Amino acid sequence: MSCPLAHLCLLTLLLPPLSSAAPISLAESISQAYSLALYMQKNTSMLLQTYLQYQGSPFSDPGFSAPELQLSSLPPATAFFKTWRTLDDGERLSLAQGAFLALTQHLQLVRDDQSDLNPGSPILLAQLGTARLRAQGLLGNMAAIMTALGLPMPPEEDTLGLVTFGASAFERKCLGYVVTREYGHWTDRAVRDLALLKAKYPA
Amino acid sequence: MALFVVFQTTFFLTLLSLRTYQSEVLAERLPLTPVSLKVSTNSIHQSLHLQWTVHNLPYHQELKMVFQIQISRIETSNVVWVGNYSTTVKWNQVLHWSWESELPLECATHFVRMKSVMDDASFPEPNFWSNWSSWEEVSVQDSLGRGILFVFPKDKLVEEGSNVTICYVSRNIQNNVSCYLEGKQIHGEQLDPHVTAFNLNSVPFIRNRGTNIYCEASQGNVSKGIEGIVLFVSKVLEEPKDFSCETQDFKTLHCTWDPGTDTALGWSKQPSQSYTLFESFSGEKKLCTHKNWCNWQITQDSQETYNFTLIAENYLRKRSVNILFNLTHRVYLMNPFSVNFENVNATNAIMTWKVHSMRNNFTYLCQIELHGEGKMMQYDVSVKVNGEYFLSELEPATEYMARVRCADASHFWKWSEWSGQNFTTLEAAPSEAPDVWRSVNSEPGNHTVTLFWKPLSKLHANGKILFYNVVVENLDKPSRSELRSIPAPANSTKLILDRCSYQICVTANNSVGASPASIIVISVDPENKEVEEERIAGTDGGFSLSWKPQPGDIIGYVVDWCDHPQDVLQWKNVGPNTTSTVISTDAFRPGVRYDFRIYGLSTKRIACLLEKKTGYSQELAPSDNPHVLVDMLTSHSFTLSWKDYSTESQPGFIQGYHVYLKSKARQCHPRFQKAVLSDGSECCKYKIDNPEEKALIVDNLKPESSYEFFVTPFTSAGEGPNATFTKVTTPDEHSSMLIHILLPMVFCVLLIMIVCYLKSQWIKETCYPDIPDPYKSSILSLIKFKENPHLTIMNVSDCIPDAIEVVSKPEGTKIQILGTRKSLTETELTKPNYLYLLPTEKNHSGPGPCICFENFTYNQAASDSGFCGHVPVSPKAPPSMLGLMTSPENVLKALEKNYMNSLGEVPAGETSLNYVSQLASPMSGDKDSLPTNPVEPPHCSEYKMQMAVPLRLALPRPTENSSLSSITLLDPGEHYR
Repeated sequence: MSCPLAHLCLLTLLLPPLSSAAPISLAESISQAYSLALYMQKNTSMLLQTYLQYQGSPFSDPGFSAPELQLSSLPPATAFFKTWRTLDDGERLSLAQGAFLALTQHLQLVRDDQSDLNPGSPILLAQLGTARLRAQGLLGNMAAIMTALGLPMPPEEDTLGLVTFGASAFERKCLGYVVTREYGHWTDRAVRDLALLKAKYPA
Repeated sequence: MALFVVFQTTFFLTLLSLRTYQSEVLAERLPLTPVSLKVSTNSIHQSLHLQWTVHNLPYHQELKMVFQIQISRIETSNVVWVGNYSTTVKWNQVLHWSWESELPLECATHFVRMKSVMDDASFPEPNFWSNWSSWEEVSVQDSLGRGILFVFPKDKLVEEGSNVTICYVSRNIQNNVSCYLEGKQIHGEQLDPHVTAFNLNSVPFIRNRGTNIYCEASQGNVSKGIEGIVLFVSKVLEEPKDFSCETQDFKTLHCTWDPGTDTALGWSKQPSQSYTLFESFSGEKKLCTHKNWCNWQITQDSQETYNFTLIAENYLRKRSVNILFNLTHRVYLMNPFSVNFENVNATNAIMTWKVHSMRNNFTYLCQIELHGEGKMMQYDVSVKVNGEYFLSELEPATEYMARVRCADASHFWKWSEWSGQNFTTLEAAPSEAPDVWRSVNSEPGNHTVTLFWKPLSKLHANGKILFYNVVVENLDKPSRSELRSIPAPANSTKLILDRCSYQICVTANNSVGASPASIIVISVDPENKEVEEERIAGTDGGFSLSWKPQPGDIIGYVVDWCDHPQDVLQWKNVGPNTTSTVISTDAFRPGVRYDFRIYGLSTKRIACLLEKKTGYSQELAPSDNPHVLVDMLTSHSFTLSWKDYSTESQPGFIQGYHVYLKSKARQCHPRFQKAVLSDGSECCKYKIDNPEEKALIVDNLKPESSYEFFVTPFTSAGEGPNATFTKVTTPDEHSSMLIHILLPMVFCVLLIMIVCYLKSQWIKETCYPDIPDPYKSSILSLIKFKENPHLTIMNVSDCIPDAIEVVSKPEGTKIQILGTRKSLTETELTKPNYLYLLPTEKNHSGPGPCICFENFTYNQAASDSGFCGHVPVSPKAPPSMLGLMTSPENVLKALEKNYMNSLGEVPAGETSLNYVSQLASPMSGDKDSLPTNPVEPPHCSEYKMQMAVPLRLALPRPTENSSLSSITLLDPGEHYR
């Protein structure tokens, strides 16, 4: 987490969407996005475990898993392989981008909730903040790829507008669980998406 | 039977019609029925909110009414609550009332109805209840939305120890639902097929982030969903403890309390409890920002009395404490200032300080604490603004710490903080004489007295001791007393006194003055008394000494001893009536001998040695074994002795010795006992009980036997260290006899040899005198005198006394012809007998070569000097002649090498041929005359022997070859025969 190389990598990956003055090649964009996704993948399970550890039973129970818990505001990462494989690059990137857009907003919500529930847990709050920052970085990278491929950018939706603010504490704990879980799933999927692209557009 | 049924039905119908009639009458009389009853729910507080109006109320009139409310759950018949609500009702007023449900409202349908009655004095006639309103049904379940499982109540805030009912609604009755509280399954009561309620009694506080309660719906092992709630359990708010207020300046009241447990909960469910200060006389209120203290500004000077209420409050509870006080009774003074000391001298000082003035005419009570010398004194004093206290009975030259605190004297509330300062009293003269003792060394003509004194204790020194004055006064002769001043750290001095009585006074001095004097008198004969030394046994704690009481006037006793290993004299003063004491000090070491001397001090201050004691605080085993010598070793005994062993310098009193003896014989000798050594081996042991008996005769031994012995001393603590045994072997019985014979014999032989050596000249002359030299005889001079050249010494040949036989040695001959510088023939000789045929190296005027005969009596060394054995041969000499000479046949005689050495004594160059008579002894000392007094022989060849001829004169004539064959040498053996 505190690896200086990772921060450097993150910064460079954040740069392309911000500065159009220095266009980089498609393969390079894909490679950078892929590297970031791979790096994110290493830390997703740690984020989930840290999150669960702070929520009490049943979340903190060993081997806790509730796949039936889903969020309507967050698209599920799981998909049939054939469906996924037959998607074209644009659709695949578009889905991932939509998901990470929703994830950045949800991660912010979860962080806010946790700072209220667990104010004395700086580790969890820091990990949630870092995850959100990385999701934003990956979004930027994918935008660069889509621009390079000449694909239309999906419209930014305020997915959280659909979330009710009157959720109970338990529901918010569940929401945090689903968000951190889906963040991992979507990161795994992004690695696969980008690996396909990388193979297709070699450097 | 049928008649009875008809009768009963008729009765009930009549009764029913009667009741209906009565109701109608009442309604007509009191038409104040609650109407428009509406029930709403508040799911946060799990409460039903009722609102209704009352019809037919008189306009602008308030009436007191009572409403009875019924609440049923699930079905109307299941009434769970009935209660009355009294209120005044105005015309057209909408009435509100709430009811909190224990069971979450989402889990069951509730029904509410009410009736009312007039309870107003303006309607004195008897009142009747109105009719019940119709049941109002409240159901929240329909608004739950989609989902298979719901758990209620959500995020409920309760106090620790309270009872909570939770419930779940399961949409699918096929699902099996299990609920858990912090991982532990809980069991509830099924209200209907979809709803189950759980009564949690006395919920515990687990953490401030709340307690998770969740339910899991499953079919078989397949989880269908999970749903839960967080129950926020708050700690019970405690009443603030130790609430009090005080003022330091009559401007601010400082109130403090102990807040107890913080009841804050996570997720902003409940903040920390708040504290509010309320003063009832002024009616003012202040919300405190700190959890344990609050400042209250005093605004009115006139207010003397305060009634404070401290209110602690959280979402669930409110607690308060109250105090009522007079402001002047709660004065907490600021600590005094300007603490000073005036007129400080050796034993007293004046302490001054100031108190912060509160109000006019205030009297303060002040407390002074004086710390010094490990003690503490306390004084109380009443002061106005300036405090002063006279501190007396102080110790001189001592640092003190004095501190003061004050309080309101009229209404004591609390002491102020301390204010303190250090001060040191001045010095005073030492109050006690130093403890002095002496040691005396008597020498011829004088005594060397060493005075020792102990430094004064701080209590008696009264300051820093700078020096000691020693005044020596002769008591026998009137003379001036001698004063010595010794700088302070010293604790002894040495005096050399003649054989008179002296009085010595010692005083300790500091900057103020001198101490009383300590007096000691040295008598003429201080320690001449011979006193027996007594042995004592010490213990770990020390030595217990006792002595006989001394007749006469004794002012005390002194016991002295030396500390080891520092060798410092120590002493102890004992009172005159005491005849025993215990000397105990940590300095005593085990294994060290301490000598104690007990003196009696007479009234004249003269010390008289009474007794001597010696002992060990703990005796140890000897540290070393004696070096044992074996004496008088005979075939049957030997003596062991260890005279050098010192019994005094041992770590214990030597009580004797153990002699261990090992021998091959199993039996021990009569005086020995069997003993087993530490290594398990057996040996014989003999015990000597007298430490001064340092020898042992071991007898009854066998000749030619080996014995091993080991001698070790012993003390009360044990034997000396283990060491190796020394081996002794007894000789056989005859060897001594042999020695007795052999030694005199050897002595005799030696004596003879010495005598022989001393008388060697005499023996020589007696046994083998020198052969007379013909040349030295007087006859020769007589011949010269007559100058008859033909006269010569009588030739042996002329006499022909004997035939000369040439003996050819079978071992071989070595011949060298040096004229050609080449060895022609070489024959090894077993004996170094040589005959050389040598050519001359010069041109000789004389004829032919000459032959060198080597005499047996002469030394070999001569041949090496280059002339002996060289036959002077003319270069013109015919080879045949050389050949003749070198032929083996011409080798006449081999010579013993040893006998050639004497030739070396003939000077080189003087002669080329040296022939010395065989009769002339080289030791005769006549050889020097040989070259100077040459005798010319007629023929070299003719000269047979007895003549030494110079080379140039002794040249043979070449023609007389035949004479060469006659050159002979006698065999040495023959020669001496």
